[in-house]
Amino acid sequence: MGSIRFDHVDKVFGPNTGGIKALEDINLKIGEKEFVAIVGPSGCGKTTCLRMVAGFDAPSAGVVSVSGKPVTAPGPDRAVVFQQFALFPWKTVRENIELGLRNKNLPAGERADLVANALKLMNLESHAAAFPHQLSGGMQQRVAIARAYVLDPEVLLMDEPFGALDAQTRVVMQEELVRLARVNPRTVLFITHAVEEAVYLADRVAIMTRRPGRIKEVLDIRAIRQAENWDKHPRIEDVMDLESFVHLRTQIWKSLREEKGANVI
Amino acid sequence: MLGRRTWIGLATVLAIVVTWFLLTTITGMVSGGRFPSPAEFWASFRQITGRGYAGGDLLQHALHSLKLVVMGFAVAIATGVPLGLWMGWSRKVEAAINPVFLVIRPIPPLAWIPLAILWLGLGDAAKIMVIWFSAFVPSVINSFTGVRTIDRPILEAARMLGTPRLRMVTEVIAPAAAPMIFTGLRLSLQASWTTLVAAELVGALVGVGFVLNMAQQDLYPGMILVGMVTVGVLGWGTTKLLAMAEQRALAWNVAARD
Repeated sequence: MGSIRFDHVDKVFGPNTGGIKALEDINLKIGEKEFVAIVGPSGCGKTTCLRMVAGFDAPSAGVVSVSGKPVTAPGPDRAVVFQQFALFPWKTVRENIELGLRNKNLPAGERADLVANALKLMNLESHAAAFPHQLSGGMQQRVAIARAYVLDPEVLLMDEPFGALDAQTRVVMQEELVRLARVNPRTVLFITHAVEEAVYLADRVAIMTRRPGRIKEVLDIRAIRQAENWDKHPRIEDVMDLESFVHLRTQIWKSLREEKGANVI
Repeated sequence: MLGRRTWIGLATVLAIVVTWFLLTTITGMVSGGRFPSPAEFWASFRQITGRGYAGGDLLQHALHSLKLVVMGFAVAIATGVPLGLWMGWSRKVEAAINPVFLVIRPIPPLAWIPLAILWLGLGDAAKIMVIWFSAFVPSVINSFTGVRTIDRPILEAARMLGTPRLRMVTEVIAPAAAPMIFTGLRLSLQASWTTLVAAELVGALVGVGFVLNMAQQDLYPGMILVGMVTVGVLGWGTTKLLAMAEQRALAWNVAARD
């Protein structure tokens, strides 16, 4: 199981054409099986942080490493769930989930078992033969999550995964993710601009400044969550009503509002 | 059984035939020397399907032309689509090939006919070569564009899943680009027929274009029209076949567009 580490990471876009400094001196450690959410104003570079862990973008300075090894290229040890799902529309649900396992050259029998488990885990069993366009947005994102989970990755990278979903579906998926984290805990880096979502899901919430993005502060939610026993409430709205939740949310809100011109939903 | 749209289409065809009949046979506004009447057209059709014309019956001419189009088109697909995909995938390959392409592209395919005949004579090979050239360009361009317009997250998802190179092409890039590739194939097929008829007009001993050429020399409007309609029907039929292949191959996409 993996850890993630940002060491003095800078990111400059278009360094040859003047350059826009997107990230400045990012330092963050995410431990094994820890769920860390990054929140920040639009354009602060939070998605870029995730893309560097995924290996889609390279840091301009500093090192991003996963389980101690610097990231050089994308790979199935770092599974990504994209905001726009990014399923293969010409493959069925089953084929979408199976592709990563075929790439690992697992034997067919083992693949079938793993896919069956993943389908069951995400309540997709009755949709295995469907094509993505036949499913709702929420179901498509379930497929994407199953496709990521089935890889048994070191870390799970989620880039505003519920940002494209309607409010009701979003809530269901958030509860689903909490359930999933209990059955099958993972190291997760979760990008969002929704403060409630971050507080509800994460062990720790990292707040970023506006561009050039820096980590402004990191709040540990775990102690409060345990002390106030959030987990005994199965429904997200009940948790969101708790005084301790409201207090944390307001604290993060204020921190973000201090960022002039910040544009946070 | 037939839908409303089909009926409207049939009505248009009927109106054209009636107008044709009116202008030629009934009123004589258009003389038979310029455009054949339906009766003359029918007589020409009977002649070429029966006794034959220009050294063969209609079926022989049509099949020969069809064979050349299919062969030229097939070679164009087999070379054009992979090249287009490759250019789309690799900036280096694009940089290497694009300059050549930019110069060759504006040359009308028909301008290759003299060279093709010089190299390969009046036989089938020259025509296949010219069809290949004309069908090649739309295949390459659309395959190229198809790759370049793939959504970035789709490619990133495939890389994240550790997809090896060959599988990336066969299971991700080619299917993602397939709708555009098929657009290219439709244009290629059209170009193939255009070029074939032109090539057969210039030099051939059999084929629909040759029928047209002979009929022109014989001042035989009825047979000219038979030749033209034959090309139209063959073009329509092959396009229809291609559309059916597309529908099968892109079932996911056709459904997604609904």
